[in-house]
Amino acid sequence: MELTWYVLLGLFFGTYLVLGGYDYGVGLSLARNGDPGRRRAALNAVGPFFLGNEVWLVAAVGILFGAFPVLEGELLSGFYPAVLGALAGVILVTAGVQLRSRPSHERVRARWDRVVVVGSALAALGWGALLAGLLQGVPRDADGHVVGLTHLVTPFAAAAGLAMVALVAAHGATFLTLRLPAADADRAGRLARRLLPVALAAVGVATVVGLLSERVRATAQQPLAGVLLPALLVTALLVARAALARGRPGVAFTATAATLALPVALVGATLWPYVLVSTTDPSASLTVADAAASTPTLRLLGWLALPLMPALLGFQLMCWWVFRGRTDGRAPVYW
Amino acid sequence: MDTLLLARLQFATTTSIHFLFVIVTLGLVTLLVGLQTAWVITGNPKYERLTRFWGQLYVINYVLGIATGIVMEFQFGLNWSGLSRYVGNVFGAPLAIETLVAFFLESTFLGMWIFGWHRLRRGVHLALLWGVALTAYASAFWILVANAWLQNPVGYEVRDGVAHLTDFSALLTNPTLGMAFGHVVSAALLVGGVLMAAVSAGHLIRRTTDHALHRTALRIGLVTAALSITLVQGFGFAQFAPVGSVQPTKFGGGGDEAQAMIAEWTARFGPGDYTPPVLASAGLGFMIMIGFTLGALWLLVPLLWRDWIIRLRFPLWLLLLALPLPFVAAILGWIAREVGRQPWVAYGLLPVDQAVSPVGAPAMLTSLIGFSLLLGTLAVTNWVLIARHAARGAQDPALGRPPGQPLDLRTEPTFA
Repeated sequence: MELTWYVLLGLFFGTYLVLGGYDYGVGLSLARNGDPGRRRAALNAVGPFFLGNEVWLVAAVGILFGAFPVLEGELLSGFYPAVLGALAGVILVTAGVQLRSRPSHERVRARWDRVVVVGSALAALGWGALLAGLLQGVPRDADGHVVGLTHLVTPFAAAAGLAMVALVAAHGATFLTLRLPAADADRAGRLARRLLPVALAAVGVATVVGLLSERVRATAQQPLAGVLLPALLVTALLVARAALARGRPGVAFTATAATLALPVALVGATLWPYVLVSTTDPSASLTVADAAASTPTLRLLGWLALPLMPALLGFQLMCWWVFRGRTDGRAPVYW
Repeated sequence: MDTLLLARLQFATTTSIHFLFVIVTLGLVTLLVGLQTAWVITGNPKYERLTRFWGQLYVINYVLGIATGIVMEFQFGLNWSGLSRYVGNVFGAPLAIETLVAFFLESTFLGMWIFGWHRLRRGVHLALLWGVALTAYASAFWILVANAWLQNPVGYEVRDGVAHLTDFSALLTNPTLGMAFGHVVSAALLVGGVLMAAVSAGHLIRRTTDHALHRTALRIGLVTAALSITLVQGFGFAQFAPVGSVQPTKFGGGGDEAQAMIAEWTARFGPGDYTPPVLASAGLGFMIMIGFTLGALWLLVPLLWRDWIIRLRFPLWLLLLALPLPFVAAILGWIAREVGRQPWVAYGLLPVDQAVSPVGAPAMLTSLIGFSLLLGTLAVTNWVLIARHAARGAQDPALGRPPGQPLDLRTEPTFA
C-alpha cells in the first residue's frame, strides 16, 4: 500500500512538473519577446490549462501530507530555501499571469510580464534544487531531524536547478510550437530548437557534477537507475530536437514532457527503498515504508480518494479536449 | 526573537490574509451560481451581464486567493514539521482529501469556466460553475474537519508518541465542527451579500449607467446579507455550548472545568502557562458587537419596497460604510478560535513548542517577512483591482467578452 501511494505521489508531482513546466517555460519565453501582442498570444496558449496545471502541485503536497506525514515535515523544513524559492516563484507566476491584463497600460503589463519571468525561473530553480537535494542526501540525525540548511549549497544542486530552468524553457517553447497559430509557431519552433541543445548541455553538466560528487555516489542506492534514467533523459532531448527538425511538434512535446517527468522517476528509483538518505548517520535514513502514514490512514485515503482518481483525470482530459488544437483569433481572451 | 514566536506570527498573518480571500470566494460563488442559473433559465441578458461583471471580480479574488492558499499548505511542513510528525497520521488525512477531492476539481472547473464562454454549451458552462461552487463548499468542509480536530482531537490513539487514526467518523461528528462550519459558510455568504450590496450602492450613489442592473444586484445582495447575518448569529451562539464543553480554557473561561483541565495538563506535561492570551476573548467581544450591528441590515430590507432604499440615498451610504465590518468580524472570529487554543497546536495533545520546525530564527524571520510582504501585497492588489473593476462598471468586463473584439487593445483606462 505504501508503494501505491509513493507511486501516486511521484505521478502527481511528475505531472505537475510536466504541466506546470510548460507554464513556466512559456513564462520564461516572455523574457525574449518584445512584442506585446506576441506575449499575450503566448500566454493565451496556456490560458485555459493554467489553473488545471497548478492543482497537480497542490494535490501532490496533499498526498505528501496525508500519506507521508513524516516525510512532509522533514522534506519541506529540511529543504527550506529551495521550497521557499519554488513557492515564491509559483505564487509570482500565478498572480502575474492572471493580473497582467487587468491594467490597460502596456507598460504596466510589461512589468507584470517581468514578474512572470522571474517567478518561472524561481520555480524551476527551486524544484530542481529540491530534487538534487534528495539525490545528494541530507544530514538527518538520529532524532529524525534534518540539521541545518547549508547542506543544500552544493555545485550539484546549483547545476540541477539550472538544468531544470533549461528543461522548462525548452519544454515551454515546444508547447508553443504545438499550440500557437501556424503562422507564429515557426518562431516558437526556432526558439525551441535553439533551447534544446542548451538544455542538453545543462543536463550533461548536472549529470557529470552529480557523478563526480562523492555525496551523490554514496547516497545512490540503485546506481543502475541513477545512470540509466539520465541517459533516457538525454535520449528524450535528442528525440525532441529531431522531431522539431522534421516538423513533428506533437512528438517533440511528448519527448520534452518526458524530460520533466524523468527527474522525478530518477530520484524515486535511485533512492529506493529510501526516500531520505542520511549523509551523517546511516541508521537515520528514512525508508518509504517508515515515511508512510499508518495503515488505517492509508486505507481511509484509499477508500475516499482512489475511486475519485478517474473523475480527477476525466475532468482534466475534458479540459484538454475542449481547448485542444492551435489557438486562433476565436479563442476567448482573458489574459 | 525565537523561532516559535516567528512561526506563530507567520501562521497568524498568512491565515488571516488567506481567509480574507476565502470568504469572498465562497460568498461570491454562491451568488454567481444564482445569477448564472437565472440567466440560463430565463434567458434575460441582465443576468448574463451581472454574471460577467461579478464573475470578473470573483475571478480576480480567486486567483490571488490560490496563491495564499498554496502558502498555507506548504506552511505546515515548512514551519510546523512536528505537526506532521506527531499527528500527521490523523491531521493529514482531511487535508489530503481536501486537495484531491475538492480543490483539484474546483480549479480545473474554474479554468474551463473562465475560458469556456462562447465555446461551451450554456448548460455545460453553467454545470461547471455549479461544480466550482460545490467543490468550494467541500473544500471549506474538509479544512474545517482538520481545524476542528486541532481544537478537539478525537478518533485517535497514541502509540510510541505518535497519534494513529482509529475512528474517522469521530472526526466528522466532532462537536467543534458542525456549528463552526455553518458559522463560517454563512459568514462567507454575508460577506458576498454585503460586498454585492455595497458595490451596487456605490454605483447607485454615483448615478452611473446601468441603473436597473445595479438595482437588481443591490436587492440580491441585501436580502442575502440579511438572511445570512441571522444564520451567522445563530450558528455563532450555538457554538458556545459544544466549545465550552471540550475546550474549557477557551474564551477566558476560568471556571472549575478549566482549572481541572489545567491541573491535569500540569500533571501530564509539567508546569507551564496553559491559559490562552487575553487577545482571544477580546477579539470575540468585538466580533459579537459587529455581529449585532450588522443585524441592523434587516432594517434596510423593508426599504426595498418602491425603491425607498435608493430614493432616500442615505441607506446606500450605510451599506457602503458597512463593507469592512464583516471582514473585521471574520478575522476577529478566527483569532478567537485559534488564539483560544493556545498553547496547543492540537488541544491537550501537542504543545506549540513541540510542533515548530527546528529551523533557525533567521530563516524563519526571512520567511515571515517575505511571505507577509508577498501576501500583503497580494491582498492590497486584490482590493485595489476589485475596487477599480467594480468602479469601472458592467460595460464590458474582460471575462466572457465575445471573441474577436479588439476592445482590449485600447490604451486609455476607461473609468466609468
